[in-house]
Amino acid sequence: MVLLQLDPFLNELTSMFEKSKEKGSVWVTLKRSSLKSKLQKRKLSAAGESIEYRCLIRATDAKKTISTSVGAKDHQRFQASYATILKAHMTALKKRERKDRKKSTEADKKESTSSTTTKPKKL
Amino acid sequence: MVYIVSWDEFVDRSVQLFKADPESTRYVFKYRHCDGKLVLKVTDNKECLKFKTDQAQEARKMEKLNNIFFTLMARGPDVDLSEVNGKEQMETQPVKKGRGRKQ
Repeated sequence: MVLLQLDPFLNELTSMFEKSKEKGSVWVTLKRSSLKSKLQKRKLSAAGESIEYRCLIRATDAKKTISTSVGAKDHQRFQASYATILKAHMTALKKRERKDRKKSTEADKKESTSSTTTKPKKL
Repeated sequence: MVYIVSWDEFVDRSVQLFKADPESTRYVFKYRHCDGKLVLKVTDNKECLKFKTDQAQEARKMEKLNNIFFTLMARGPDVDLSEVNGKEQMETQPVKKGRGRKQ
């Protein structure tokens, strides 16, 4: 398990997606954690301090695993970069079902014919 | 394994699951490019909710769900408003950082 900083983690995640294009999967796990042991937690709560939680993110392509932890301050930036990576790579998914496509093309045809007829009426 | 058909139901139940037990709830996502399939799983080690899809429009919805989970996990399960408004509903800290939002 390799613990990385945010930006190297994102780079590694990108390369994982690229490697798994032909075959294989990419798993990403998100979990909340304080990264402290039970003892430390008890001590902190006994002392009256609040435990700082972080979001643990793990990614694996079945060959290697990388991980990173994101705090409340970094999560916005990470979220944006993560979303960009996913959008860029999840291109194999179907756009729409065939039934929807037929309906949408029929709807488009109807709309185009109706629009041509309404325009002169408006004029 | 419970595969949920409705996206909204999956979102509601998984957020409920997380709020009930933030310590042990985790969100797993598996993507296979060669099959063009996406599977989401939310579990607290007692109950498991799954959602699978091969549609690009579901992937966009999943991105929103990712945002929700990131916010919940990084900030704490008490954050409610962020689910509704996403990034816009923020507290004072990011405003002080000056991200250049026009207000």
